[in-house]
Amino acid sequence: MLSYILRRIAATLPVMAIVALFVFSLLYIAPGDPAVVIAGDQASPEDVERIRQSLGLDRPFLVQFGSWVWRILHGDLGTSIFTNLPVSAMIGQRLGPTLSLMIVTLLLTIVVAVPLGVVAAWKAGSLIDRVIMGFAVFGFSLPVFVVGYMLAYIFALELEWLPVQGYTPLSSGFWPWLENLILPAIALGCVYIALVARITRASMLEVLQQDYIRTAKAKGLGQGGILFIHALKNAAVPIVTVIGIGIALLIGGAVVTESVFAIPGLGRLTIDAILRRDYPVIQGIVLLFSFVYVLVNLMIDVIYTLVDPRIRY
Amino acid sequence: MDRRTVLKGLAGAGGLALTGLSAPAIAQGASARTLRFVPQANLANFDPIWGTQYVVRNAAAMVWDTLYGIDAQLQPQRQMVESEEVTDDGTTWTFKLRPGLKFHDGEPVLSKDVVASLTRWSARDPMGLMIKALQQELTAVDDRTFKWVLKQPFPKMLYALAKNNSPCGFIMPERIAQTDPFKQITEYVGSGPMKFAKGEWVPGAKAVFEKFADYVPRQEKASWLAGGKQMQLDRIEWIVMPDPATAAAALQNGEVDWWENPIADLVPVLKKNKNISVDIGDPLGNIGSFRMNHLFAPFNDVRARRAVLMALSQEDYMRAIVGDDNALWKPLPGFFTPDTPLYSEVGGEILKGKRDLDAAKKLLAESGYSGQPVTCIVAQDQPITKALGDVTADLLKRLGMNVDFVATDWGTVGSRRAQKTPPGQGGWNMFHTWHAGADCINPAPYTAIRANGDKAWFGWPNSPATEKEVASWFEAKNLDEEKAAIGRLNKAALDDVVYAPTGFFLSYTAWRKNVSGITKGPLPFFWGVSKSA
Repeated sequence: MLSYILRRIAATLPVMAIVALFVFSLLYIAPGDPAVVIAGDQASPEDVERIRQSLGLDRPFLVQFGSWVWRILHGDLGTSIFTNLPVSAMIGQRLGPTLSLMIVTLLLTIVVAVPLGVVAAWKAGSLIDRVIMGFAVFGFSLPVFVVGYMLAYIFALELEWLPVQGYTPLSSGFWPWLENLILPAIALGCVYIALVARITRASMLEVLQQDYIRTAKAKGLGQGGILFIHALKNAAVPIVTVIGIGIALLIGGAVVTESVFAIPGLGRLTIDAILRRDYPVIQGIVLLFSFVYVLVNLMIDVIYTLVDPRIRY
Repeated sequence: MDRRTVLKGLAGAGGLALTGLSAPAIAQGASARTLRFVPQANLANFDPIWGTQYVVRNAAAMVWDTLYGIDAQLQPQRQMVESEEVTDDGTTWTFKLRPGLKFHDGEPVLSKDVVASLTRWSARDPMGLMIKALQQELTAVDDRTFKWVLKQPFPKMLYALAKNNSPCGFIMPERIAQTDPFKQITEYVGSGPMKFAKGEWVPGAKAVFEKFADYVPRQEKASWLAGGKQMQLDRIEWIVMPDPATAAAALQNGEVDWWENPIADLVPVLKKNKNISVDIGDPLGNIGSFRMNHLFAPFNDVRARRAVLMALSQEDYMRAIVGDDNALWKPLPGFFTPDTPLYSEVGGEILKGKRDLDAAKKLLAESGYSGQPVTCIVAQDQPITKALGDVTADLLKRLGMNVDFVATDWGTVGSRRAQKTPPGQGGWNMFHTWHAGADCINPAPYTAIRANGDKAWFGWPNSPATEKEVASWFEAKNLDEEKAAIGRLNKAALDDVVYAPTGFFLSYTAWRKNVSGITKGPLPFFWGVSKSA
């Protein structure tokens, strides 16, 4: 197992290299020029050119790429063109809010979606099943920002239970941290809950028809034990897979959610950087996201072995 | 006690048990001395000379002071300067600084700091460049006196040092001001009434300013950038909110105190809230515009440009931006900001009265237009340019033009508009933008009105008559001469269609009613603003 993990980690290096080359090339050919944005409306073409030179953007592609890769190999993601702050520091500032949002969303999803899916499978064809699956379709169809605005209107503006926006670090207290994340996590989690609930139901339906479930029932085991111990464990592989894939959904959804709830996370940093053509920041974030994604896939593979002892690497 | 309080108590207790961390206790008094402000845009950098965005200028006005400040009557007033003298021939200016001025690091403000700051500023600012071109020497005479010697008189010197147009002549310590004007500074030390809390800066999310205890305000009443900048607040938090609906909700919920520029669509909601005041933010407003590329057909022919001007309805453009609120817009048969001393409608007939589409079509045909594509680049991520672009596309189609509508983002417009290649080869025929009214009160900061061909702003209009009147304004010795020059300039620029003004529009600002002292102006002024609990 350890050698498998090491091999997989080693395999991330070429993936990251390809991502790096792809992102850099894409940004190089993309329209737009950060020097123009920096120089402002009143700037002369000469001013723009001088700024371009000072940023090193006038150098040939290979020189720029080589110097960027060299810095990356030395652990330096570069400096933001606009803020003049190290990209790693900017990412560090934004990591906490995004990580918090993703963790709370993930927990919420697992706590809500898995039981819903199990119950829907158990009561397949009943009104309960239809209500749960109806909710799943609804949740899957509603855009994140619509859910976000609805939640903010009801729970923040009308009921005044929760704040509309912002983020408070955990170091300021658990409730201040959590109260800022409840609405965004629900908004972001809707799609995810719907997806996981549907997959759980489908997977459970298949397992519940297996002979060993019938045997368990015949032995007189309780319904809860059958569903959550015997059936769910055997249905877990596809559920874990979807939860893993869903992390990519979370990353994409976080961009919108963070904008709607004014959470200073990586999603907003990405959008801001793209709109301003802040190349080092975009490159740093994409590298980080791709690394996280590769890591999540690795974790899923490892979790497979925990939920299904037949799987060995 | 509402449910939120109960939840807070329960979860807080549970959370504290889990984390062992305590929530900060903010005293009511401290909360009342902290203003939470939603700025117009993200403070992405904080060098007001390197980055000329308005949002940077607005934040910088708290941190860095200027030698002179423009007041609400658009007149330059002494700010850091105690006195000035100019020789009879107008070529040597001697300035003396006020005593007791200090930077945020405790060092005194000296003439050498001013010299370095003006040197950096004059390399980037259009008026500064003009002074630099005339400069013989700029030297520190002693710690509080400095001298600017010119080869020729520059009558608008005090205006240049006082103006609120970006970049302003902010004074920095010498060691910082010696930074290449095309590179960013890394220290944010000023001598203004507020200090920048660099440690709390999260670009794109938050910027914090703290009261500078050693600031020595002038004794006069504050008026825009002039007078006594008395701070009633200890702390100002800028909270960036990219989504206007979120900002509106946060203001209604009391999570922020002042929203600089709510969008017109949300203003009715805010006006209904009894805890919120809404008023015009900047009386100098904005001028909508689209620019035609004078280098390529069809708009290299003045008849084609005039045809478009003749057909356009400013009301259509303005309603697309501000909706049905008639208090927010005015027709603008000219180029200069309404209700300012130099406003002129001379030569504005082409933009007045009923629009004559048939006459415009006839003139367009006379220009030789024969259906070639007109590349119209429109930034969709800016509500104003999107609205302007949609109206223009419809107008051009009604004129019988073949519109190549390029929907893109502002970053792309910014680089594409600089292309002088033909429209089919990466260039363009039209793009939309708008100008702050404060930049259009006279020709000094008004780059968009210049018509010196290759050196002009994007579109590269070449109108010697317009340029002649710009020069006349610079040489004018009194207001009457200035007005006469501007009248002639307005006519010449309209005759040659330097660009197409699409109307004058205003925007609101909104704040909680427990905040007082907010004044109308081209930027948010925080001195004199206070907040009750």
